[in-house]
Amino acid sequence: MFTFENFLFLLQGVPNTLAISFLSFALGFALGIPTALVKQFSPFGLGHVADAYISVMRGIPVLVIMLLFHFGMAGIIPVFKSAFLSATFALGLRSGAFQSQIFRGAINSVGRQQMMAATSLGMNRWQAFRHVILPQAFIVALPGLGSEIALLIKDSSYAFVLGVLELTKYSDIVRKATRSFLYPYLIAAILYIMITFPVANYLDRLGSRLKTKYGLR
Amino acid sequence: MKTAAPLDPISFIISFVTEYYPFIIEGFLTTVEMTFLGLAGGFVLGILSALGDVYGTKLMKVIIAGYVEFFRGSPLIVQLLFFYFSIPALTGLNWDAFTAGAVTLMLNSGAYQKGYFKGAIEAVFKDQLMAAKSLGMTFRQTLTHVVLPQALRIVIPPWTNEYVSLGLSTSALIVLGIRELTNISKSIAAQTFRPLEVYLFASAIYFLWITISMKIFDWIYEKVKIPGLEVNI
Repeated sequence: MFTFENFLFLLQGVPNTLAISFLSFALGFALGIPTALVKQFSPFGLGHVADAYISVMRGIPVLVIMLLFHFGMAGIIPVFKSAFLSATFALGLRSGAFQSQIFRGAINSVGRQQMMAATSLGMNRWQAFRHVILPQAFIVALPGLGSEIALLIKDSSYAFVLGVLELTKYSDIVRKATRSFLYPYLIAAILYIMITFPVANYLDRLGSRLKTKYGLR
Repeated sequence: MKTAAPLDPISFIISFVTEYYPFIIEGFLTTVEMTFLGLAGGFVLGILSALGDVYGTKLMKVIIAGYVEFFRGSPLIVQLLFFYFSIPALTGLNWDAFTAGAVTLMLNSGAYQKGYFKGAIEAVFKDQLMAAKSLGMTFRQTLTHVVLPQALRIVIPPWTNEYVSLGLSTSALIVLGIRELTNISKSIAAQTFRPLEVYLFASAIYFLWITISMKIFDWIYEKVKIPGLEVNI
């Protein structure tokens, strides 16, 4: 029988799910902006490196990256002895590639004329980028970042395969303990929807509100 | 596999591939098979729910919105476990992991494809619907001769993204014990004690498969696209 106590037990998986998703989002953010800049300006011909990073991350399942880190590389990199950190780094690394695409799209959506206008006002290229292009690009990127967070929250469930005690793992434990085959996963699914929906929706609306406020396309 | 001295990575990969290649091929084919089953089922579900959402009644729209939100808002792993365990418990019907996995992939992909098809159907301009009507075409004729021929071309680029993401998500089928590429790699890694090389090799297979498929879809799109009608969905 599935009881209220089981539900409360299930909820204990939520903090780890949130921790994996938000830590990997932060890592992806830290990797995504430099990658977008490298791809945009290609200093020292590094653009191809960014290209390779993005297409490799786009072509491999994140679960395989997690397994590679946790089981394949724990001997070389001690951090990967932890299943939690392997999952977080795998998701973060992939998110960096995805977020760089979001930022690049956003940077390109800010017209080239603004760069010309800023440089004609005496700013150098970096100042123009930092003070004119980037703040606008960030607003344009908000909806994309919202769906990226939602994707990370959902894909944090792959950590279940490594045995991390997150929401999916807890629902699996409850299913085994109660032999209730319907509720544990259904409630887990509803909890995931309740977490992803507000986050993605909020950033989407914030994005369009700020776009209207600052008159961006 | 018993060897006296540990092999260097390259010779190890060669030796395990020669030893395990039937399993690797089986795993890869299962991955591809599941991807295409999911895409084909999702294609039908996606088109039907997109048409229902654009032209249907209010009740239909609510049901479709619920379906899409459930499958896009929750993780594929949870959906797989949910359907695999709950359907036998609810209906007494015994279904194997392969069927459960394929059906869940279809439902999941349908929810994503619905969004792409809806965007593509809406991209076919409203004036064209009026023009078709004024020529005396019925709704069904308009759909099959005016809307879908254009929408199915416009949808190819976003549809390629769905192919990529569904193809990579098939690795989630490991939770049902289906012997697809990731699961096979896990077994081989456990048997050979060389997870690094095995997973790198699996990554390379996935990467080549996805990259080549994307090139093929790009080529198809270039062949069939309508010049001048490039719409971003």
